[in-house]
Amino acid sequence: MTQTETTCLRPSSTQDVADIIMDAAAAGQTLAITGNGTRQGFGNPVTASRTLELGGLDQVAFYEPEDLVIRAGVGLTLDELEHMLAQKSQYLPFEPPRYTGLYGTDGRRSTLGGAVATALSGPRRILCGAVRDFVLGVEGVNGQGDVFKAGGRTMKNVTGYDLSKLVTGACGTLAALTSITLKVLPAPRAELTLVVPAGTLEDDRALFEKIRALPLGVSGLARRVAADECCEVVIRVEGTIPGVAGNRQVLEGLLPTPPRVAEQEESRALWQDIRELSCLAPRADELVWRVNLPATAMPVFVDEARRAGCISRFFVDWAGGVVFSTMRGVQPEVDALRYRKMAEKIGARAMLLRAPDPIRSQFGAFPPVAAGVAALERRTRAAFDPAGIFNPGRMTVQA
Amino acid sequence: MQMPEPSQAIMNQRDALAVALRQIVGQEWVISDEAERRPYQCDGITAYMAMPLLVVLPGSAAEVQQILRLCHEKGVKVVPRGSGTSLSGGALPLEDGILLVTSRLCNVLEVDAANRVARVQPGVPNIKISEAVQHLGLCYMPDPSSQLISTIGGNVAENAGGVHCLKYGVTANHILGLEAVLMTGEILHLGGAYLGAAEGELDLMGVLTGSEGLLAMVTEIAVRLEPVPEVARVISMSFPSVEEACACVGAIVGAGIIPAGLEFMDRKVLDAVSVLIRETFDSSTAALLLCELDGTAVEVDALVDVVSDVARAQGAIETKVSTTEEERQRIWSSRKLAFSAIGKLCPDYYCTDGTIPRNKLPEVLNKMADMSVKYGLDYANCFHAGDGNLHPIIMYDAAKPGDLEKAEAFGADVLIACVDAGGVLSGEHGVGVEKRDLMTHQFTEIDLNQQQMVKCAFDPAELLNPGKVFPTACRCAEFGRMHVRNGAVRFPDIPRF
Repeated sequence: MTQTETTCLRPSSTQDVADIIMDAAAAGQTLAITGNGTRQGFGNPVTASRTLELGGLDQVAFYEPEDLVIRAGVGLTLDELEHMLAQKSQYLPFEPPRYTGLYGTDGRRSTLGGAVATALSGPRRILCGAVRDFVLGVEGVNGQGDVFKAGGRTMKNVTGYDLSKLVTGACGTLAALTSITLKVLPAPRAELTLVVPAGTLEDDRALFEKIRALPLGVSGLARRVAADECCEVVIRVEGTIPGVAGNRQVLEGLLPTPPRVAEQEESRALWQDIRELSCLAPRADELVWRVNLPATAMPVFVDEARRAGCISRFFVDWAGGVVFSTMRGVQPEVDALRYRKMAEKIGARAMLLRAPDPIRSQFGAFPPVAAGVAALERRTRAAFDPAGIFNPGRMTVQA
Repeated sequence: MQMPEPSQAIMNQRDALAVALRQIVGQEWVISDEAERRPYQCDGITAYMAMPLLVVLPGSAAEVQQILRLCHEKGVKVVPRGSGTSLSGGALPLEDGILLVTSRLCNVLEVDAANRVARVQPGVPNIKISEAVQHLGLCYMPDPSSQLISTIGGNVAENAGGVHCLKYGVTANHILGLEAVLMTGEILHLGGAYLGAAEGELDLMGVLTGSEGLLAMVTEIAVRLEPVPEVARVISMSFPSVEEACACVGAIVGAGIIPAGLEFMDRKVLDAVSVLIRETFDSSTAALLLCELDGTAVEVDALVDVVSDVARAQGAIETKVSTTEEERQRIWSSRKLAFSAIGKLCPDYYCTDGTIPRNKLPEVLNKMADMSVKYGLDYANCFHAGDGNLHPIIMYDAAKPGDLEKAEAFGADVLIACVDAGGVLSGEHGVGVEKRDLMTHQFTEIDLNQQQMVKCAFDPAELLNPGKVFPTACRCAEFGRMHVRNGAVRFPDIPRF
């Protein structure tokens, strides 16, 4: 939780944001920057003088469906945004997760700004790219109270440094973003998901590899725990109605057993559950991890981590490239360190998605980076926020 | 076009510097002879030339590291260069700087088909990556038209696009990891060789991509590999007016279709290419659209029908669909030959790459017609319509006094019109020196300062590719100390080069 000494500031214009920041900078105060505060459990805990809530900046500046572009205030909720796009048969390809089930907050209030600040991409990442790939431009306020813009609204743009990418995933440590311009895409007309019982981790990984080698545009490949506690492999295809039917036939030929087929609504619900990690169902005292790794390393990594007691419950997404898992809170301090070391050994990145504040403060929610990169990150932060007033400690562990 | 004043003191150290650099890379890989340096005087823009102090060709990241460390110590500027195909002068040499050329860093280091990634050195030509993985049914998607020659390192520096980037994205969307050397000689590893390797890092890789060689020297790149689409078919659609062709672009996207490529050619381009391909275009055709659809055969067949219907509804005179791969290649040949065909019509041409919101296409194209009258120069249009990336081809004769200046002014007016229409100066060629002085039209002083602060975080001595992208030097030392409140111009009396 964010600790604040005084009231929460909730501006409704970019100029108000700039004024607040200028005042804070002049007074030597720090600011915890949030949208509607639904994901304060993500990243390291922040201690700041005041909270700057940007949820009030929720206006849509423009939406031009034929140009595949929308610009909106950071406070627009993802639900509203996705609803607006759906009315024009468009969508956010990066399928942003809310993860609010983990944090016990209201996912309906999660914002566009939060999605960009956390840069969390959902299951479609394997086909369509990450959040950063859809951020065309931003407007924000730096740590000195200057309003700046970066990027633009066109599909292609190499004019100046791509600061839009830099602020995406920076968890509000570089700038208080005020508006974001996104590339959106036409939503596929049809989707369906093939479901088969899981094999061994290596069997499933090999199946993922075989499927991904084909140019079918498979947009989801996961191995999850089903309602009956059995594991299953789920394969999503999207596109035109004839295209999806054709791909289904090809895939059925590759599968070890005839699949169950989840169509349209059922398929959508299934992938929403995967996106939100529903099948992990962590207990209140469990830590939740997200580990990015080379898919080929996944089976051995998971087996070893389970034997070492570092994984209690888990599932695999991104065709084997990400493992979500829970960890029992017996000795979390010891196990967290051990698990992260196991990940580092194979060059994987272990992110602590949920843990009590003291554990995240001690170990850092994000995996550590090499010293040289950390130093450059520090200098880059100072280039935006020289006095370090934004979200102090959110991404880095304080010495 | 003004560049920073060369330092005579550095130029006087040329011989001593050559000796020191030869100790790092070996005798033959430092080019000091004037005649041998001459081919490196310019990149793809031949209008701008400068003789590099020395040309250095390192053979490893370790050598790059030592070269940069040495240059940093001695205060020598460094200009990185791949194959030199830049269309914005990004690799224009400096008389008091070395040219660091990646030609010898040309190996595909590893192909990891299971994880769908390849690790390559920066001097590998773009096309060689796809060739190296062809037998696996994989490819590297971004395909700038220079792909036979331009290197992946140069593609990263310019965040190169290409015909297929509407559907598949630009270079930045296909890079998973970078090894880069800072001007101080420090080697950094960003991201890695798998999807998601950069999660939880500040996206330094994202800002390095497209930074035009101003932030760090990239020495290794991990790229995403994709399966080669099963089939691709192209539809050629002719329209009686430019407006109808432009409206069709929006209508195709509006119908929920993202073509693999969507290209526009005007009548002048068609007349020029018809000579080369020995094919005539109907006299009522004012503009032609080429729309490529790819995917599985079933999917593509379905989309071809939809696009054909949309085209007819938008007033297309004729639509032709390729049924074989040979036919597809033949239809595309008109687009591929467009620039050389125009080249036969005039002694010289000048091409920029401003990008606009698609719905502003007719407005900006009309403005161009007026500009053509104003400057008395002919022009033709052939561009990536799907992403609003214009490529006006301005025809001139360098032998005629004043013609080049007129062409440049025409080009600048087009770029300004692009920015005024809500677009940007460059969609894929980069700013380089060519568009540098127009940056203040697109960005405020504050916007540019914020970008230059990032430069200071990477290269505070400003030795990497100075004089490019930004109309003024960074003055990193002053940043942080001087600060004028919102709106006030910060450095009103700063000398501009």
